[in-house]
Order: sequence, then structure tokens, then C-alpha cells
Amino acid sequence: MSFAKYRHAFLIGLQSNIVYRWNFGIRALFSLFHLAFVFILWGAAYQGQTEIAGFSLDQTLTYFVVILIMQFFIGAFNEDYQISEDIRNGIINQFLLKPINYYLYRFSIFVAARLVSGLLALLPILIALPLLKDHIALPDELWRLMLGLPAMLMAALIQFTIAYIFGLLTFWFLEIQSFIILSLAIETVLGGQMFPLDLMPGWFYRISQWLPYYYQMYFPTAIFTGRLDHTSALNGLAIQSFWVVALLILAQFLWTRGLRRHTAVGG
Amino acid sequence: MKLIDYIRIWLACARYSVVRTMMFRFDFIMWALVEFFWMGVNLLLIQVVYDHTDSIAGWSKYQMLLLVGSSMLVQRFIMGFVWTNLFEMARNIRTGHFDFFLAQPGNPLIMVSTRKLDLDGLSNAVVATAVVIYAANRLGIDPSLLDLLAYAAMIFCGFLINYAILLITVSLTFWLGAAQGIEGSYFTLMEFSRLPRQAFKGAAGVLFVWILPAVVVSNVPASTLIHGFSLTNACWLLAVTVFWMSLALFVFNRGLRRYASASS
Repeated sequence: MSFAKYRHAFLIGLQSNIVYRWNFGIRALFSLFHLAFVFILWGAAYQGQTEIAGFSLDQTLTYFVVILIMQFFIGAFNEDYQISEDIRNGIINQFLLKPINYYLYRFSIFVAARLVSGLLALLPILIALPLLKDHIALPDELWRLMLGLPAMLMAALIQFTIAYIFGLLTFWFLEIQSFIILSLAIETVLGGQMFPLDLMPGWFYRISQWLPYYYQMYFPTAIFTGRLDHTSALNGLAIQSFWVVALLILAQFLWTRGLRRHTAVGG
Repeated sequence: MKLIDYIRIWLACARYSVVRTMMFRFDFIMWALVEFFWMGVNLLLIQVVYDHTDSIAGWSKYQMLLLVGSSMLVQRFIMGFVWTNLFEMARNIRTGHFDFFLAQPGNPLIMVSTRKLDLDGLSNAVVATAVVIYAANRLGIDPSLLDLLAYAAMIFCGFLINYAILLITVSLTFWLGAAQGIEGSYFTLMEFSRLPRQAFKGAAGVLFVWILPAVVVSNVPASTLIHGFSLTNACWLLAVTVFWMSLALFVFNRGLRRYASASS
């Protein structure tokens, strides 16, 4: 019974996100242009050499294609804004009165939204496949799938929980947009969306492995595309689980603290 | 209205923008930081790529830095001078508030485009200039006054081209009633201006070098500083500027004819 209400939230999320199919579609189409940028830049950087940091051009391009798919399947898009709006408009008031957990409710909608946007993002990639397929170089070891999928699931949890935490900042700040875009810049670098993190100097790479950003995009992508070996993947999963728990605790703490500040006005 | 009147109005608007920014200081600092960080991200990308290679399409690290700096400079000016104004124009067309600008005695396009200044964008233009100067210094470039003037004029052309592209996108609101994804399309296009022209091959070359003005806006000014003034390049940039500005004005004026205000 208690699960059924979140299933309903998921189904409603599915419907309301299908309404925005054009937005997601256009966004996915633009991301193909970004992919073109990446291909041109790295194609030129590889001129005259077959390997960069031990990886071929095709391996590097594959990394960026997988990161792109990852973004649409597990990335948080505007969950932070939605949560912020819910708080500002007093929509959360109704969750305080009903036996429903706001985090789980939002998470159900997030899962529905990512399902829709992820599938829509595959369309332009399928269209571009004739051009892409010669450059795709994926390893075929089974353990990569076995470890990569849980890593991807936890990455989604980290993504969503960080967005949730930023949304909760609305309890304390009127405007959170600049915080979000600022943190997006950090995420873009430390999450490996700008370049594979292993291209960074060794000390920087090692520090980044202890930060939650590493586990948002880079970690599952690196497992799938052969940039991490078995031991590093297992170690990474342990650190990733730690971050999932830590962020969940922080989110819960901010939620209870924020509610104390919150004044529900009107009905 | 005479030119001096426009300048007086613009100065008043600028003064108002400064006062407003000072009222929301925290906001200003945050947004300036946001832009600063994103510029840093792009510079970091260059650093990382050049850690592993010596040249991208024949451009050395500091040449590339100068290219990216030039592209940033154009973009900061767009952010500082017109971005918010054009965005508000799209909203005003939708809501009917655009009437307010039509009722003013000046040219509506100028009145709309110069209403507000974004100081966070302009403050980062200083940073972008510093990047260009630093790169030029490392390359040992010692430009003559004429080179500098040519560079400045070319950055201005780049600004006009960017403005034209944005104006065309926003003017579509006259027909569509919404200009969704305008940010996305603009930033996606501008991303290509951070790449050297020589890196583009085949269809990508035709599209981004010749059809869309993505590459010319940054490559021509940067090459002028690095290799000296080239008449062919200058003519190319000028022709592209004239073409896109004319097209933008045409689209805007056509749209204006369609504007039917909104019921009150």
C-alpha cells in the first residue's frame, strides 16, 4: 500500500514529462552539436599521435558519447528549481499533512522524467549512429555491466539528492539560481563532462576520487568505457555508497531544519 | 531623435543599471562569479588538452588561449550590453508590453536593446581582456597601434554578428509566440567559436565556417593579432557582419509588422 502512492506519483510524472517531449527532444538535438564540438576538438588534438594518456581517439570519443547518454538517463535537469518552486509557492504544505514522504515523491517523478528524457535522447543518437558507429570502442567484459549498472543507479541517487539539497536552500535564500549554475560549473569539471578526469594531473585525479562529483557521471561512464580496472571499480563503489548515505542524511537534516524556518501561509 | 539624444538616454539607462546593481550587491557578486567560473572551465579544458598535445590544428597553446579569450570577449560584451534586453523583448512581445517601446519617440530596436546593462557580464569582459593580453604576452606579440585598432574593430564586428543572431532568434517570437531553447541554440553555436578554423573539415567546415558565422567571429580577430592584418580576412568578416545584420534587421522589421499587441 505504501509503495502504491509512489507508483502513482511515478505514473503522473511519466505523463507530465511526455508533455515536454519537444523540450527534451530539442535539448537532445543540441547535445548532438556539442558532440560535434567534442569530435572536432579531440580529432584535432589527436592529430599526429595515436594515444592520449593511453587511450585511442575512438576510446575518448566513446567516452563522450556515453557521458551524453548518461546525462539524459541519470542527470538532474531542473529538479532543484521544481523543489524550490514547491517551497516558495507553499505546495509542500500539503505534504506535511499527508502520509507521503516528499523526497520519495520527488524521486519517483525524477525517475519518470529520466526515463522519458533518456529514451528521447537515444533518438538523435540513433539517427547519428551511421556517423558514430565507426568511432564506438566499448570493452566487452561482463563485470563492467555488473558493476556499472549499480554505479549508475547510485549516481542517479547522488545527482537527484544534490539537486534536492539545492532546492531545499530555498528555505534560507530567496534566489538559488546562481548557486545552482555555480555548482553546475564545478560538477561539469569534476564530474568529467568537460574531459575524462584521468587526463588531469595525478594528484588532482586522486583528490577528485574522494568528492561526490566524481560519482555523478564519470564513475559509471569510466566503468562502461574501460577507463577503470576491476579493483578501482570495486573501491569506487564503496566510496560511492558512502556518498549516497552521507547526502541522504544531509538532505534529511536540511529538510527538518528548513521546516522549522518554514511558515505555511494560506490554505 | 538625434544621436546625442540616444547617447543621453543610454547614459541614463546605464546609470540606472549601476544603481540597481548596487542595490542587489550579493546577486551581482554571485552572477559575476558564475560567469567567471564558466570561463575558468573553458580555460581549464585548453590546459588539459595541451597537457597531452602540442598543437590543435596547428595552433599552439597560447595561440589557442588568445582565440578562446577573443571569443569570450565578444560573448561578455553580448552578455553585458544586450542579452537581458533581448530576452525581455521576447517576453514583452508575448505579453504585449512591447507597446511601451513602440510609443517612445526613438527607434524601437535601439530603445529595446539599450535599456539595461549587466555589470556582471561587463566585469568579466575585463577578465577576458586580461586573458587575451596574457596570451599575447606569452606569444611575444608586440602589436602596433593599428593592429590594436583593427583587433578592436573586429571584436566589434563579432559583437554585431552575435547580436544579429540573437535578434533573429528573438524576432521569431513575433511569429511563434515563444522562443524556447534560444539560450541553448546560441551557446551551442558559440561553442564552435572557441575552435580554430583549421580544425573544421568536410561538412562541419561548410556549416560552421561558411554558412553559420560561428568560426569567423573569433578566428579573424585572433589571427590578426597573431599573424598580422590580412585584408582578405578583414573583408570576409566585414561581409559576414553586413550580411547578418541586414538579415536580422529585415527579420525584425518584418516581425514588427506582424506585431498586433495584446488585449488589455
